[in-house]
Amino acid sequence: MKNGLARDLKKQIGKDNVKTDSEDLLAYCSDATHQSIKGKPDAIVLPLTPQDISKIVSYASKHQVPVVPRGAGSGLSGSSTPIKGGIVLDIKRMNRIIDINKGNLTAIAEAGVVLARFHKQVEKENLFYPPDPQSMSVCTLGGNVSTRAGGPRGVKYGTTGNYILGLEVVLPDGSIIHTGGSCVKQSVGYDITHLMTGAEGTLGVITKVTTRLLPLPAAKKTIIVKCRTTEQAAIAVSDIIAAGIIPSMLEFLSLGAIALMNTLISPPIVADGEAYLFIEIDGFPVQIEEDAKRIKYVCEDVDVMEIRVVEDKKEAASYWKARSSLYPLVLSFVKKVIVEDVTVPRNRIPEFVKSIEKISASTGIAIGVSGHAGDGNMHPSVLMGDVSEEMEKKAQDAIRQIVACGLELGGSISGEHGIGIHKAEFILQEMGARQIELFKSIKKAIDPEGIMNPGKIWIDGDSV
Amino acid sequence: MMDIVDYKDLIDKCSHCAFCEAVCPVFKEDLLETHVARSRLLIIKESLIDHHLPVTRRVKEIVNRCLLCAQCKNACPAGVPVDDIVIAARYNLYQGKRSPFFKRQIMKHIMAQRGKSDFFRRAGAFATKMGLDMADLPQIKRQSFSDMYQGTYAPKSKRRAKVAYFAGCATNAFYPDTGDAVMKVLSRNGVEITLPEGLVCCGIPALSEGDIETAKEMMKININILSKTDADYIVTDCTSCFMTLKEKSLTIIDGSDAIRQHAETVSLKITDVMSFLNQTGLTDDFPALKETYTYHIPCHARGMADLMTAPVKLLSNVDQARYVILDDDNGCCGAGGMFFTEYKALSGAMRDKKCRAIRQTAATTIVTQCPSCRTYIQAGFGNDKKVTHPMVLLARGYGLYIV
Repeated sequence: MKNGLARDLKKQIGKDNVKTDSEDLLAYCSDATHQSIKGKPDAIVLPLTPQDISKIVSYASKHQVPVVPRGAGSGLSGSSTPIKGGIVLDIKRMNRIIDINKGNLTAIAEAGVVLARFHKQVEKENLFYPPDPQSMSVCTLGGNVSTRAGGPRGVKYGTTGNYILGLEVVLPDGSIIHTGGSCVKQSVGYDITHLMTGAEGTLGVITKVTTRLLPLPAAKKTIIVKCRTTEQAAIAVSDIIAAGIIPSMLEFLSLGAIALMNTLISPPIVADGEAYLFIEIDGFPVQIEEDAKRIKYVCEDVDVMEIRVVEDKKEAASYWKARSSLYPLVLSFVKKVIVEDVTVPRNRIPEFVKSIEKISASTGIAIGVSGHAGDGNMHPSVLMGDVSEEMEKKAQDAIRQIVACGLELGGSISGEHGIGIHKAEFILQEMGARQIELFKSIKKAIDPEGIMNPGKIWIDGDSV
Repeated sequence: MMDIVDYKDLIDKCSHCAFCEAVCPVFKEDLLETHVARSRLLIIKESLIDHHLPVTRRVKEIVNRCLLCAQCKNACPAGVPVDDIVIAARYNLYQGKRSPFFKRQIMKHIMAQRGKSDFFRRAGAFATKMGLDMADLPQIKRQSFSDMYQGTYAPKSKRRAKVAYFAGCATNAFYPDTGDAVMKVLSRNGVEITLPEGLVCCGIPALSEGDIETAKEMMKININILSKTDADYIVTDCTSCFMTLKEKSLTIIDGSDAIRQHAETVSLKITDVMSFLNQTGLTDDFPALKETYTYHIPCHARGMADLMTAPVKLLSNVDQARYVILDDDNGCCGAGGMFFTEYKALSGAMRDKKCRAIRQTAATTIVTQCPSCRTYIQAGFGNDKKVTHPMVLLARGYGLYIV
């Protein structure tokens, strides 16, 4: 059957666009969720047009072959991994930026466009596309939409979902639909655009994206706050938000995280506080001066160790670069990291941080708390010095406790990574059985053969 | 240099974060995940270390289709030395015999002669046999750098330092103008220069082939000679020579080697000639030249900020010369030493992008300190634009006659 599959796919879209060597298949088994290979694809397909994809999914529907859409493979939930085999649809070659419309503050781009390139092009026009997942140098718009990716700027600007106005999607039956459009106001029946957003490729293949844009902020400033204790830092975050200041980024970093990031920062930060806040404010110069003053007052009120406004742009950039490298940096020092994506309401951060420290102590496993504190997306990370059965058990125990704690505080199991396979076991806890039933009904209506990215989001994802 | 199996722990440091996708010139062309560092490492581990995958033609292709530009290493937050691992994999696959016998013999001869080979003088037939496109190659000069200069040269102004000059193969045989410029500019700036006798190629071409033994042989000869110099610094004009003498020699010649101490001494003294001049400052000042130039950063210069910025910093001393930035995300030109001879279409696509970006600027001259980039980009332009070494531009600023 596999030989037949390769031959058929090649016939559909040309032999250069289909790869079936074992080496190629191996390269597409995992994403950035620490090399957890759970299944191997039967073929890699590299389409160039929605019509190519239409042919492939029609074929796959007919023969009930799983299809897994994939961008850069930089996801952190396993959502683009072929756990049930089948076809991996690599959309990276569909990478044209079609239109940047200054008059309408919108842009249209193909799903394979790399986010950093999109940022650069948009910013050349003095426009701004805020979503900034830390993998932005490689991740694709299609992947971002499929996982509702976000990043540090989420605190002020929200995540990818807030910027999507329309999509081109290839449905599992091969039809190509255009949802939404370029209007900033749309009220036309069911919102298919945002049904497809965050669906992780389980309902169709996103091929084109229409995004909202903003004017590029005129100026920005970075502030580094050094705190005596983790608790003090958590309180400072809540107080900043409560004071009505919305920074463009508000990151919480532990002492351990700073020690790692210092390998990329010159001169290194003097690491003598227990926790740090990296803050960026943006807007008109007058506004950011005012915000900087107010942040200073709030932080002084909680008696932090040091508040420093970084005047040098290069120096500021080096801090943010190190911040974006934190996850792989951590991995270079421990064997395995499980990055949690549990998010809590911002006023509950002090309680959440305290609970995580308790969980760490009771399970005897190290848990780093560094993350996008400003939007409650703390990314507690379970750090494993070695990988053993006992360690895995402890880690799973810790994760279950973190999830329970987050939900109890009114939080969510994922802020920006999506569910994939990594969080599937917890979705029932958050959504409840009735909503999962709804998920399944929607899935069945759109993908009756269950070919699209099976096994994701909920545990029995392919049994529709 | 370790055996490939000993790199297992370093390969395991790869978190699969995919940051290498942002910088790998091969991946950016192919847009196939198999051809990027994280997959290369995984495939090397599976086939050459753990033997879960057979060593197929495809495995070899994946190991070979790498420029060794080291951009992935520079971008890797975990600091995985991907280039060393690919070299070790090539050694494991070919034991130094990646190329056909006659090509290896010619290369060895050329390396021992620092580029001055009779084979090359009668280029045509051999070059064609080696799969080289003559249009992409520079003309070998009638008079090599070592024909022009030998021994020690006193400075033309008050003596400030003494350096030994390691002129690489390309400078020696193809670009004696670079060597001529280095000699004249240093001399005018109070630097005594000595040219140690008996030097050979730095070893980088052999290393790229995974021919660790030949590379080591070359390195040992050079280290023995260079460790005897009483010069304050050993300057290089080529980024790859610099990298090989400064870093790779210490990877290849490990602690167990008798010559290790010498290798460390030499490595400490190795300095890029432009960084050296930036540090000491120009004394014979006020060079001037009406020229608009841009700078192509060689991949091997990108690992070190100082090395990367040195040419533009130095040329900022040249009055009236206008520097224009190349807006191409610091792309590779596709040369990759001899890589372009093996992967013509792939390298050609990279060069096309580079040339297009250069044409977008007002530059009439492109400076770059890597002879391989210089050759390859020049061939991309024909006579349209001039690609040269930054030191040549500086020498022209002084109004010096350069061969």
